[in-house]
Order: sequence, then structure tokens, then C-alpha cells
Amino acid sequence: MFEILDAVLERAQARGAADVEVYGERSTSHRIKVYRQEVEQLTAAQRRGVGVRVFSGGAVGHAYTSDLSDGALDDLVQRAVDNAAVSDPDEFAVLPQPGGEPADVHPFDPRLEAATDEQRIAVALEVEATALAADPRVKTVEDTMYVDGDGEVFLASTAGVRGSFRAGQCYAFAYVLAEQEGQVETGYSYSVGRALEDLDPAFVGNEATERATRLLGATKCPSMKAPVILDPFVSAAFFGVLSSALTADAVQKGRSLFAGREGERVAGELLELVDDGTLEDGLDSAPFDGEGVPCGRTPLITGGVLQGFLYDTYTGRKAGRASTGNGMRGGYSGLPGVRPSNLVITGPATPLDEIVAGMEKGVLVTDAVGIHSGANPISGEFSVGISGVLIENGKFTTPVREVTLAGDIVGMLTSIRALGDDARWVPGGSIFTPSVVIDGMAIGGT
Amino acid sequence: MDLATFDTGLLHATIERALRRGGDFAEVFVEDRDTLGLRLEDGRIEQTSGGHETGAAVRLLTGERTYYAYSDAVDEAGLTAAADAVAAAVSAGAQGPAVVDLGAVRSDPSRHPVLKPPGDVAIARKAELVRAGDEAARSVSDEIVQAIAGYGDTRQKVLIANSLGDLVFDDRTRTRFTVQVVARRGDVIQTGHEAVGGSAGFELVDEEIARAVARTAAEKARIMLDSKPAPVGAMPVVLANGFGGTLFHEACGHGLEADAIAKGASIYDGKMGEIVATGMVSAYDDGSITNGWGSQAFDDEGVPTQKTMVIEDGRLTGYLYDRLRAREAGAAPTGNGRRQSFRHVPIPRMTTTYIAPGDMDPDEIIAATPRGFYAKSLAGGQVEPASGNFVFGVAEGYLIEDGKLTTPLRGATLVGNGIDILMKIDMIAGDFDVKTGVCGKDGQGVPVGTGQATLRIAEMTVGGTG
Repeated sequence: MFEILDAVLERAQARGAADVEVYGERSTSHRIKVYRQEVEQLTAAQRRGVGVRVFSGGAVGHAYTSDLSDGALDDLVQRAVDNAAVSDPDEFAVLPQPGGEPADVHPFDPRLEAATDEQRIAVALEVEATALAADPRVKTVEDTMYVDGDGEVFLASTAGVRGSFRAGQCYAFAYVLAEQEGQVETGYSYSVGRALEDLDPAFVGNEATERATRLLGATKCPSMKAPVILDPFVSAAFFGVLSSALTADAVQKGRSLFAGREGERVAGELLELVDDGTLEDGLDSAPFDGEGVPCGRTPLITGGVLQGFLYDTYTGRKAGRASTGNGMRGGYSGLPGVRPSNLVITGPATPLDEIVAGMEKGVLVTDAVGIHSGANPISGEFSVGISGVLIENGKFTTPVREVTLAGDIVGMLTSIRALGDDARWVPGGSIFTPSVVIDGMAIGGT
Repeated sequence: MDLATFDTGLLHATIERALRRGGDFAEVFVEDRDTLGLRLEDGRIEQTSGGHETGAAVRLLTGERTYYAYSDAVDEAGLTAAADAVAAAVSAGAQGPAVVDLGAVRSDPSRHPVLKPPGDVAIARKAELVRAGDEAARSVSDEIVQAIAGYGDTRQKVLIANSLGDLVFDDRTRTRFTVQVVARRGDVIQTGHEAVGGSAGFELVDEEIARAVARTAAEKARIMLDSKPAPVGAMPVVLANGFGGTLFHEACGHGLEADAIAKGASIYDGKMGEIVATGMVSAYDDGSITNGWGSQAFDDEGVPTQKTMVIEDGRLTGYLYDRLRAREAGAAPTGNGRRQSFRHVPIPRMTTTYIAPGDMDPDEIIAATPRGFYAKSLAGGQVEPASGNFVFGVAEGYLIEDGKLTTPLRGATLVGNGIDILMKIDMIAGDFDVKTGVCGKDGQGVPVGTGQATLRIAEMTVGGTG
């Protein structure tokens, strides 16, 4: 792949572009879906391509191709140069420079590529079988999947950036429908790892079923102001939306509710929030980011106080500081943008049953729909639909659904009063979080 | 690579190769896609990006199983490797059915005419549109603090061949212009969004249209600065034309897709012919609307798109099928087998889905509502097709008092159930409109249209912060 990258750099320079960066990707992936103990879908994929950025007097042009033939590489370079010509110059847009030693992290496990289709299918079948057997009220397991990806990333630039690494991950997933007296409720679960052997299929099946069945019989509850416990899945979804406001990009463009609040209390004082791209078990860990800058560890909230933001090369220069290694790419066709790597939420843990026992009235929230549409990351206001279980006098009582949870994000963060002892990785943004207990939330029901 | 003159002998050989160890249907999907995206934010055009992607996928169906393999290499080696990958996965071992000789290539280039191919238009002209959008948005008010204007065009050429002898070439051009605006007054920040798009060329948007789109987005954001937190509770809800159709798409449409039906994961499973809405509701999915954003001449399995009636006078009349689900159900495919790209398995998807208009005046509906909530534009939402439960964010909403629109309301969500709301529609106006969007399902995004006229739902839960 480096030969192709070098050919692109050469051609771009031949066209007068001095500052050029080229990113290459080569990957394979598998996706297996089973349904009623039969393989429903098996996909095997090969993917490769290159993307090039040309910096010309502060104007940036980007182009990508999956066609790596000679003629296609010529077109690629010409497009990038043409695109740079229409972009507006910006003094802070410069070619990223070599950023030092890559982080010492090894996101690939050779056991991943040793797996066979038979083993992959067996994982998915076990997930589904466990889910079906876990409770007679399971109507069907609508989706059961095993998915893996094994990719190599290559980066080279005229500034002397040159590196590559290989990363792999896999996961098993189940989405269960449970039915009782005509009412259908749903539940899902994941298990993630670097290799198939890391997955726990029985756990996924059991948990997905339990999450669906515990909601059976759910009704609306009365409207109230009460404490809620967001379980790790729901907590991760909230922190996922919130994290966009913690990027320098959002701050510099006036789209962050945290702009100018560094050093201020923005969350309950027990809360620690860190972005860490160097964790061995973090799914989004890597030696370097999409611009060649080593991945690092960036505290965002410490003791409830906002510490800072995430930067790529461009936003870092604009703010007069270095990139935090968060110039992430979504493959060869994507431009680098500021995004979190692994978000880790920690703090003093309280056993979950103790939290419940101490709650006079509240709701354990196990599902929230509409976080991405119902939450406004700019204003911080949100109103989402939730399902969960009512807590009365320290005990779980009836399940609830079709009720809303509303508030604003900063208000919610500052009302965080406790963290559970059930922290886990939640994929989909790679977030490690426990259950989070929040006081005085507005619940809209009957 | 020119798909219009692609080697059909290679396609035929690939299909045979895929079927050599068994299976009952095989297909090759070859794609060539050109994309351009321009984005202006903070007054400047940022990193302009474009690309060229090619790839091919081989799909094999055996019973209800699907085997799928794809590669970016569209040559004999790539197609052979993909065919071998699916053949290796089949356990049967017996030769599949004889492959019908590929007939003459079918295409329908005049179905969605492209007057100005975007590839013939200089990028600088496209850049003028996003600049015009930025300027128009900011001119609406001093309180507009940010504008993001986007222009995108794609030309996707696909060649689809299968073991039934179908050979289809489809050349699709799509153009879209979007503006998102942020308004601020003190600590209050609000956003507004508007877009136009179609299966059409550069003729779809000129500077005047770009400015109008931007002003609409800016007005939304500005009006919402005056908003108050929405109340909580059950009340009549009037859904405005256009954007309101998103609710039908999410809350009902996904349940009509035949994969959800086949898995018993839809509230509409087993309800064919039954009453699922009030008698004034008729609804359609139509992938053939000329130049529609959700339209194509053929779906991604080579089936011509069509207009499918899904609800007639309140009665359920149709589901949306791809080939696989149509085969299982013994039904005809409806041109709804869509995929995001060669990297995705085709699945049943909506195209442009809408509730047909009635004949009331929209103002009459509001006037007939003593107290209620008026949802002018929705921010998007989520639904569980199995239960029909949904939640929608409201981007622009108003209180209805004494039959008049009064206070703008923010932070509202609409919560309900798909069947339940269709059974509570009690008024439909005649001001039909379609809006454009991108719908996500199973990790695939496809362009869709959602339409409706202004209508009223007699009672619905509004969740707010006030």
C-alpha cells in the first residue's frame, strides 16, 4: 500500500502541490446473521481505497477513490487540487507535522483472523439459542449477529509522516422481542472483543432477553419530578451526544454549550470523564489518529470541573495548542474531524442495589429513544422517550413505557449524585460507563 | 470503466460460478459512483471533498439464506473472488439452477430527466450557492450566529444482472442543498434546518432557491428564540404538511417493510385487509415520482419502481417487498429492494411514503382546535417497529389556543404508538407537500421522501420541559 501512497504524493507534487497527505486503508470483514437457528445472511467483504488531502495556501482539497489503477490515481490527484481551488483559505489549515512516538497500544489480536466461518456462525447460534431459551415469553430474536473487522491503515505525507497499524474487533449482538398479553417489548445486548474468543455469547442472549422481559406489562406512570438511574446503555447514549460539545470544533464554531467554561463546575463533583485512545481494551484505541498524531489521554471533566476539549491539528493551531490526537477518520473516504476515541466515565462506585434500596421513588431507565433527535447538543435541551422500571420504597415495582424524560444536559450533569458499580464498555461510540444516578428529573407520563 | 458497455459474458460467468455448489438465485451488482460535497461553515468553504468509488457485489439466495460478498475490484479477479466466497459458504453442494441467458440491457434514462448534469457544472458555480445560502441566512437577523450551508451531488451508475436473465443499467443523479442555522439571544440557542433535493441535476437549485431555503431555516431558528418550554400532557396535535410525513414514515412505514413482517416484528403483521387507520386515511409508497429525492427508475435489485397503495380508506392493503421477502411470501416484488451501495445487502426500504391529502383548509383545522399543539417541523425520531412505539423531537412547534397559533414552544417531543395515532387522525387538509431526508436502517442510509398534508391527531402525548 505504501507504493500507492508514494505514487500519489509524487503525482501531487508533480502538479505543483507542495503539502500533501495520503491515507490508505485495506480491510476485510465478516457479518453473520442467524434467525431461528439457521444462517440468514453471511457477508464477506474486502475493502480498500485511498484518500488524499492537498493543502494549498491554507485551502484544503480532499478526494478519494477505491479504484487504484494508474488513471484513477491521476484523477484522484486532479480532483484534490481542483477541490482545494474552491475551498476558502484559512491560516490555521496546514499539513500536520510528524507528532512523535506512536502510542504503545496494540489493537490487533491474531486470533481474529484465525477464526473460521463455522466458529463465527457458532457464536451467533449460541447467542440466539440462549436468548430463546432464557424465557418462554420470548416471541422472536429479531436480530442476532456476529460481526468482525480487520483493517490496516497507512498514512504518509510530504511532511514526513509515515506509519501504519492494524486494528481488529468483533462483536456479538442480539435484539429480542418478548410478548405478553399482546404487548411487545424489546431488549438488546452486546459483547465486544478483539477476537472471537473474547465474546460471551450466553451473556448476550440472556441479557437481551432479560432486558426485554423486564419491561413486559409496562404502563405509563404519573408525571413527576424524581431521581432516575440511567443504566450503562442509556448513560452511554447520553454521553455520546454530549461528547460532540466537548470537541474544539464545536467550541470554535459556537456550537458548544461548554464554550468558555473551562475551570467551571459543569457536573456532579464525583464525575470524571476522560478521553483515552491508548487503552488496550478500548475499541477505538490506536497508535495514532487520522493525521498521524499519537493517540493520548485527555481529561475532560475532573471532580465535576471542565478541564478542556478535544483537538485535531487544525483546531489545535487555532487555539494555539497541540492536537490531542483526536483527528479521527471514518475510512478512506472521510475527512479527519475532531471526535472522541474511547470515552471513560469513572468516579466513586456505589453498589447498584444499595442505590435502589435508598430510593423512595424513582425510575431505572433501561431504554431511551430519540436521544439523537430529541436532544439538542447545542442548547443542551432534551426530551426523550424512555422505558424502564419504577422504584418505590427502595424496591423495583412496575415497568413503565411511553413516558418522557426532559431537561437540559448541564442541569442533568450537575445533578449526578452517584455512580453504580456496573461499569462496562458500550460499543457504538466506545464508551465505558457505569449506571448514573441523577436527581430531580422531569418525567412526563399521565 | 464504462458500465453501459460492461462485459456481459463476465457477468454471466460470475453468476454461474456463484451457483456452482447450490443456491436458487444469484445476482451481480456493479456500481460506479461519483460524489462531490461542499460545505460552508463560519463564513468559509471548508475542506471540499469528492470521490470516485467502484465496486461489485455477488449475492446468492438459497431458501431464506443470503450469502453476500463484495470487493472494490471490478474486474475478473474481483468478481471471481466474490463468486467463490459465496459459493464456498453454500453447504448444499448440488449445482444451482441453470442461469437464464442475459437479455438485452434494460434502462429507462428518460424516467427522471437530468437537465443539467452536475458533472458538467464548474465547482465554482456550486460554491456560489453555499455562499448565497450563508449570506441569506445571516441577513434574516443579527441573532443568526452561525450558518452551515451544504451542497452535494452524486452520480451513481449501477449494473444489475441475475440468474433469471434480468440485466438492468440505471444511471442515477441526485442533487441536494441544505442549510442549518444557529440563532442566539443571551443564553438561548436555537437551530433551524431546511433542505431541497431530488433525483435531478443542477437545475434543481439556483441562487434564488438557495437563498429561500436559507431564509426558511433562519426564520425557524429565529422564531424559536421566542419560544417557551413545551407543556407536558395529552392533547390534540396538528402536524404540518411536509415534515409531518416523517412521523408516518417512522411510526408506520417501517412496520410495512416486508422484513419486519416476515419476522413478526411489526404491528402490521397479520393485519392485511384490517382497519389500521381512520377511514379518511389512504397512504402510498411511490418510488416512481418523477425527479423525487427518493425515486429511481429501478430499485437496487433491478425491479422497476412503482406506486404501492399501503392503506386504502383506513384498511391495510400492501407491504413493501424486496425480492427475497416477496419470494418467501409468494408476493410480487414492489421495487423496494434498496441498498446504500455495493457494500450493503438489499433490504425492503421505503422510497417516498405519504398519506394522501384530504380537502380541508389547514387554517380550518387549527381554528377547529380550541387547545392543542402544532408541530410545524419535526427533528426526526425513533420507533420500535415491533411495538409501534415512537418518539419524535419537534424542531418548531406552537401552542394552539382558542383556534389560533400562539406561543412558539421548544423542547417538545411527541410520544405515541403507530396504530394508535392513525386511528386518531380526524382531519386532513389539502396542502400536500414532500420533504427529503436520509433514512437509516440496519446501518444503511438511503434517500427517502416523506409527505403529507396538514392533519390533526385527536390526542397524543406531548413531552416537554414546561
